[in-house]
Amino acid sequence: MHIQPILAALRRHKAGTVLIALQIALTLAIVCNALFIINQRLAHIDEPSGVDEANLFVIANQWGEQYSTQEAVERIEQDLVTLRQLPGVQDVTSSNNYPIRGISNDNFITMTPDQRAPTSDAAYYMGDANFVRTLGLKLIAGRDFRPEEVQNQGLRQTVDPSVAIISKAMATKLFPNSDALGKHFYAMTPNPITVIGIVDVLHRGDVSTWSAPYIGESMIVPVRPADPYGIYYIVRTKPGQLAAAMRAAPKALYAENRMRMIDPKDGLLSFAQVRHRAFESDRGMAILMSIICIVLLAITAAGIIGLTSFWVGQRRRQIGVRRALGATHRDIMQYFMTENLLISLGGLAIGVVLAFGLNLWLHIHLELKVLPLTYVLGGTVILLLLGQGAVFAPALRASRVPPIEATRPA
Amino acid sequence: MFTYYIQLGLRSLKRNPALTALMVMAIGFGVSASMITYSVFRAVSGNPIPEKSSQLFVPEIDSWGPGLNEKGEPPGALNYVDAMALMRAHQSKRMTLIYQIGLSTLPRDADSVPVASNGYAVTGDFFTMFDVPFLYGSGWSTADDDARAADVVLSREFNQRMFGGANSVGQKITLSGHDYRIVGVTKRWNPSPRFYDAWGGSGFGDPPDFYLLLNRALDLHTDNVGRNSCRGAITYNGWDQYLQSNCIWLMPWVELDTTSEVARYRNFLESYSADQQRAGRFGWAPNVRLPDVMTWLDVQHIVPPESRISLIVAMSFFIICLVNTIGLLLAKFMRRAGEIGVRRALGATRHEIYAQYLVEAAAVGLTGGLLGLLLTAIGMSGVGLLFEPEIAQLAHMDLSLIGLTLVVAIFATVAAAFYPAWRAAQVQPAWQLKSN
Amino acid sequence: MLKMTHLSKVYRTEVVETYALRDFNINVKEGEFVAVTGPSGSGKTTFLTIAGLLETFTGGEYHLDGVEVSNLDDNARSKIRNEKIGFIFQAFNLIPDLNVFDNVEVPLRYRGMKGPERKERIMSALERVGLASRAKHYPAELSGGQQQRVAIARALAGTPRLLLADEPTGNLDTQMARGVLELLEEIHREGATIVMVTHDPELAARAQRNVHIIDGQVVDLAEDPRFHTAYTAAAGQVRS
Repeated sequence: MHIQPILAALRRHKAGTVLIALQIALTLAIVCNALFIINQRLAHIDEPSGVDEANLFVIANQWGEQYSTQEAVERIEQDLVTLRQLPGVQDVTSSNNYPIRGISNDNFITMTPDQRAPTSDAAYYMGDANFVRTLGLKLIAGRDFRPEEVQNQGLRQTVDPSVAIISKAMATKLFPNSDALGKHFYAMTPNPITVIGIVDVLHRGDVSTWSAPYIGESMIVPVRPADPYGIYYIVRTKPGQLAAAMRAAPKALYAENRMRMIDPKDGLLSFAQVRHRAFESDRGMAILMSIICIVLLAITAAGIIGLTSFWVGQRRRQIGVRRALGATHRDIMQYFMTENLLISLGGLAIGVVLAFGLNLWLHIHLELKVLPLTYVLGGTVILLLLGQGAVFAPALRASRVPPIEATRPA
Repeated sequence: MFTYYIQLGLRSLKRNPALTALMVMAIGFGVSASMITYSVFRAVSGNPIPEKSSQLFVPEIDSWGPGLNEKGEPPGALNYVDAMALMRAHQSKRMTLIYQIGLSTLPRDADSVPVASNGYAVTGDFFTMFDVPFLYGSGWSTADDDARAADVVLSREFNQRMFGGANSVGQKITLSGHDYRIVGVTKRWNPSPRFYDAWGGSGFGDPPDFYLLLNRALDLHTDNVGRNSCRGAITYNGWDQYLQSNCIWLMPWVELDTTSEVARYRNFLESYSADQQRAGRFGWAPNVRLPDVMTWLDVQHIVPPESRISLIVAMSFFIICLVNTIGLLLAKFMRRAGEIGVRRALGATRHEIYAQYLVEAAAVGLTGGLLGLLLTAIGMSGVGLLFEPEIAQLAHMDLSLIGLTLVVAIFATVAAAFYPAWRAAQVQPAWQLKSN
Repeated sequence: MLKMTHLSKVYRTEVVETYALRDFNINVKEGEFVAVTGPSGSGKTTFLTIAGLLETFTGGEYHLDGVEVSNLDDNARSKIRNEKIGFIFQAFNLIPDLNVFDNVEVPLRYRGMKGPERKERIMSALERVGLASRAKHYPAELSGGQQQRVAIARALAGTPRLLLADEPTGNLDTQMARGVLELLEEIHREGATIVMVTHDPELAARAQRNVHIIDGQVVDLAEDPRFHTAYTAAAGQVRS
């Protein structure tokens, strides 16, 4: 197929050619970035929490009366006993927070007491001797807390933990070249904290973009928060008993002590619900971008079909003449397919620039990551196939124009 | 003539139903995607207090210093010491301090369980500064602040739950075991974004249940349940030491009516910081800011990035739909070049041809707009799938959105038709005669 | 009524300049029926398009109904076309999307005429050509002769001063052609000025006066020696 005559013909349809090319260019720019956003968000949604999600649920327990630290500790211990006695419950712990709740309690981490710029900004979990076991964390080095290490922390009190269990990600950040076990660091504490254990994965409490540099960097200190406000109970059930235990738990707690508040809306959540809530906006973005991609590709395809059909209608006589002069069905088909290919390639060349341009803008203003080349290549292939697919029907119709058209008046 | 163009336009649109449907769908989808995302963006980026947004300011003081502050910027809230110093200085017409608290309430029937309630500890100027509307009673005075009175203002919703909506002013309410006197009940008031808590919260969500007199809350050691941020080693132990720490958690606002008052207040913040430096409390030069409401919301990135990205992508999508429409209109109009030539020969001016095709495009735009309305309405019910619930609930269809949808659809389509209609108007009257 | 003096029309392309009309002089008086003849490519259609203000010319003067038209802008030319000129094309040029009534209505619409007056004029023009009963039909449902009658009705509805016809019977068989011609003669008898381009000598003979164009100029058939070679002249020089 000779390209020269096709280009010459396109020069006579400048506006239509430019419009199709422009549409393809813009579509490529949007589709690449949308696909990239979708993929990023899906990856975010799939971030591991490190905990046994299938068998965990969380109770946000607020006190209905103002307790002193000592009263709070007693209540908490009583609650833990109550929960542990429920059928189907395997383990119970209490904490100030839990992974992917949506909000982090985080502390700056430094290697020396007077270091200004922190090495990390780690999620700060207060746990007891049951925390690691209950959450189902995988202890890959060192040991768990001993019950006698756990200190109680009242309202705006500061306890000074001397030991901590940290996540592997945090260990690698703090001690990139050596074994973290037995080493020291500071977590806004006046005295050093010794690493006594390392868990494989423990997600932060938040899932925000600001904490992306510290992803997976978490630490647990042997502290029980006993302020007058409240506490989270994290309950691990035996396989298959989650639903039953979730129903029984609040009843048992209220039966034991009525002066508490478990919010009917979000006071009791299975970990599946926790995950669902944490990534709501990510899922929303992925859905929205998918809808836009699909509709956009459909509209672009329809636009190509529309304009090509018009061109075919306009050139019926010309096609008839070509057919009369010996062009085969195949030749005519190829003519239109090649024409579309040329326009697409032109549009895609502009589209690649636009795609990176849009990405740059989103990168600067909205912290989107830099678009990898694979997305642009993928988008290019999708749009080439889309163009060829869209032009197929009008091209087929063109190839069926009978040679007799040549003799009809224009 | 206009009605003639409408007749011609409708006739022409009926002749190519597939092409017409395609254009209408492109416009409909494009405009509805833009409108759905815009309705969310509008809700999160609007001015929450338009009549006073340029008179309300956040005094920011760098109490942390270089290396610990936020990349050179002072932190977004005050520690207790600085907050109280500013309150005592009385350098602005009005000032309030705010922090978030959560308390328990016991409904009246004896065997019920306590329920959680959320609110803010504020000073008396809060209500006058922010023009809080009252259903019953009013806020409290600065004298009450100084007297550390046990005063509380309830929100309409909370009053409904606790008192069945009756006038509860003068009655007593027990919150977390302490008694308070109800001095007022607000009307429904939940500025969106909740600018006064932009630093502490997400800026959106259900309205608070109550507003408690700040000094009273502090006296009772009512802890802050909102954001709290500290620097360096944390060494405080207990409430009183916490108040003296460098932790920031009190959100200050001042009301300043004129630019000279603003300048004067900024000078005051500078001189206060300089005093602190001289006294040895700050080891750095004064570093203060005094943003107004809209600047503050911008600085606090109150608009979720999702909302911006989806608006940008949806609008780009709309632009592509319009490019598509330009191409289709061009094809449609130029297919009728013969008819245009005849009309021109019979005496139609270029303007008349131009007008005829713009009217036809406007008809496409209007139909696309109506489809867009339908899709927007459907999309609105699904907006909960796309955004977090507290954001999604802000998006709603109102008259202005309906009007905007139609206007945007028609304007955009007519704009898209300018070039194709211009091309149509350029068709020479001689052309048809010659081609025979 | 129609007076062209030293009129010229030049087509310029990148390579050549070709004269379609050169030192062209013609004077058609009010009420005349003039046939313009000439070989293919001689410039007769160019003459007609300029006469009908469908195209501009390069040099010389053209007075239409006493008005010099060379300096008029596009809008003024549209207005003259609409009010003073009626066109009859070889290919009828009816708008296929519009029915007979609506087709005849087109020039009246652009004149901004009120509905009742439009209707009266359309119906009388259609009665005139004998097609009042076909007002609701579409062009595709009519024979060639009927279509041309509709075109004539459309030209007549605006009561033009000048009727320009380009091979009005060129696409019709003999019988239909005769009917159309009789209609034109009848219109002429009622006082209209008609200029008709044709290469059919029989048709030309029915006009009051014949004007012959060769190589873009009006020639006197009796005196010009070129006449005898005219039909083999290099028509290719002139845009067709």
